Amino acid sequence: MSVLATPVLGAEEVAAEEAAAEETVLEARGLVREYGPVVAVDEIDLGLSAGEFLTVFGPNGAGKSSLLGMLGGAMRPTRGEVLIRGEELSYADVEWRSHVGMVSHRGFLYARLTVEENLRFYGRLFGVERLDERIAERLKRVGLQNRANFQVRHLSHGMRQRVSLARALLHDPAVVLLDEPYTGLDPSAASVLRGVLAELRDGRRTVVMVTHNLKEGLELATRVAIQVAGRFAWEGVRGEVDHDNFERHYHRVVEGRA
Amino acid sequence: MTSYARQVRAIIWKDLLLELRTRERLGAMGAFAVLAAILFNYSIDKTTTRPDDVAAGLIWMTIVFGGLLGVGRTFYLEAQDSALQGVLMSPTPKDAIFLAKTFANFTLLYVVSLLVLGVFTLFFGLDLGSNVWAIALVLGLGSLGFVALGTLFAAISTGTSMGETLLPILVFPLLVPMVIYGVGATGRLIAGRPFLEVDGNVRMLGAFALMAVAAGAVLFRFVVED
Amino acid sequence: METAGLRRGGTALTLLGLAGLVLVYWMSFFWVSTEMNQGIAQRIFYVHVPAAWTAFLAIGIAALTSGMYLWLRDDRLDRAAMCAAEGGLVFGTIMITTGPLWGKIAWGTYWTWEPRLTLTLLLWFIFLGYFMVRNSTEDPEKGKRFAAVVAIVGALDIPFIHVSVLWFRSLHPEPVVANVDGPALPGDMLTTLLTSVAVFTVLFLGLYLLRYSLESLRAEVDTRARRAVA
Repeated sequence: MSVLATPVLGAEEVAAEEAAAEETVLEARGLVREYGPVVAVDEIDLGLSAGEFLTVFGPNGAGKSSLLGMLGGAMRPTRGEVLIRGEELSYADVEWRSHVGMVSHRGFLYARLTVEENLRFYGRLFGVERLDERIAERLKRVGLQNRANFQVRHLSHGMRQRVSLARALLHDPAVVLLDEPYTGLDPSAASVLRGVLAELRDGRRTVVMVTHNLKEGLELATRVAIQVAGRFAWEGVRGEVDHDNFERHYHRVVEGRA
Repeated sequence: MTSYARQVRAIIWKDLLLELRTRERLGAMGAFAVLAAILFNYSIDKTTTRPDDVAAGLIWMTIVFGGLLGVGRTFYLEAQDSALQGVLMSPTPKDAIFLAKTFANFTLLYVVSLLVLGVFTLFFGLDLGSNVWAIALVLGLGSLGFVALGTLFAAISTGTSMGETLLPILVFPLLVPMVIYGVGATGRLIAGRPFLEVDGNVRMLGAFALMAVAAGAVLFRFVVED
Repeated sequence: METAGLRRGGTALTLLGLAGLVLVYWMSFFWVSTEMNQGIAQRIFYVHVPAAWTAFLAIGIAALTSGMYLWLRDDRLDRAAMCAAEGGLVFGTIMITTGPLWGKIAWGTYWTWEPRLTLTLLLWFIFLGYFMVRNSTEDPEKGKRFAAVVAIVGALDIPFIHVSVLWFRSLHPEPVVANVDGPALPGDMLTTLLTSVAVFTVLFLGLYLLRYSLESLRAEVDTRARRAVA
């Protein structure tokens, strides 16, 4: 993990990275999630390598969050499997979880703990090395170094989201999952988020973002999918996406006219 | 330190820190204990009943009802902002989460149990004598079994639409052995009988606590998965 | 396919059990001798005890299949557990209604803290909890898991409840009535009791299989309906 944290790469590492880029990092095979009679995710297949950024659009209730939950091991698939670097994830195993980071519109934070205590707690769970430095560095990145000793409940929603972002990336995960990260953000928090997300496109990470915000979603994506009723109704790579007419395209896909 | 021990410690630290900061559950359980003792005092007609004879039963009832109040809230604190979800997505084994939460809850409940013992000793004018340590042991083993079952079933009831109302229905039938052996031992110790007379009870309380902790550690993962 | 066979087996066992029940009633009303101390009411015993035994058999099956369900996540195992628990609730209800009837006539009181009676009452509440948990979750799969945990912990707790209520009883001597510990029973009473236990077991298993196949059919209808919609 500490290797991944190094910002500047040597020649060997670049070579290793190019080799790694060939490899599929995050894979899903025939993923299904049912809630009783409701099928939230219906046979989704997926293969993403390092450096890829997939944005999944879709209306409410399309099963986007369930998909993300299964990819992140927060939710057990009804059928199908998720693999990280070719290794099948057993829901019961824990080791692989240290390679995954999830940013959600829910913060996963304890309101009565301070910012620093929250990060320290999660850092210990994830076994982050040199935790103090790492916390200081992450807080600085999201611009909250002055708020380290504030209890989370005293922070604004935007600030909480920034803490949540720092929390999710504290252990420098190779797979980053984003569940509607822009929900309810003020402009300054959104700009911090945009900056941090751009940094995630460093070629070493695989990112999946779920959103219905078309503009923010397209900005960083290398691949795009539109999920409707549990399935990918449309998939494309960055070059194929017509940015200007994407909204029209999106509505046509959602309404089943494409 | 292994990562398992580090994670268990981190969760205990977090739970106790939160409790120290809010004093929500300790405060509620402590106030409940004292108020219950006052009510119980007036529920006894001292011309027909000697307080010493019923004190053990009342102490245990206060611990069970008061404890349920505190243990039942364990996962409500976690549910705010989905914090538990964050913990579950971390590389922490589910049994480590259970053991840590059980330990933290045990610490709280044991403090309350001793408070209950103190309050009843004071209000009912009990003379515990040298048996006070043995009683503390009995209360400790009882609290441990109670907290283990309580933590497991609090996770279940929090996940249902009935919430806390379901918790007593689920745990009371299972707590019968603990109450029987606990009250039996405590009553005799309060009456000044030697420890030897209750060591069978103490062993059963220990076995019950062991069963509850082991069952919880194994089954907790099936309760919290999504 | 699978359900048809189960249904036939269930029907056969149930019919056998019902025929056996006629035999049990005949034996307990006309054949077996009247117990000296308690008189005629003691004959409830031949329904009461087998019903209790069946309830314990049910929690055993429910806990076992629940454990396997948590392990393998096969819905058939959950159905098996749920049907056993339902059977346990029904036979447990027979047990806790016949108990007081017998008690009132034999000992002059509807309720006594007789250990086995107490144990079965608590078992009944464990089954009740099983169904309350099961029916109060939005996601049915979650309810299945929760219920499975209730059944398993319940089954683990029963030995503890059993020894504790026995111990409690030993402190509070009550009029000793029927010493039901097998061999102490006169020959014809033992024969009647064992026949009844066997018949109740067969009847329970027959009803269990029928209930299970009904539940399987229901699940299949659900699946087909869903497929038809999709």
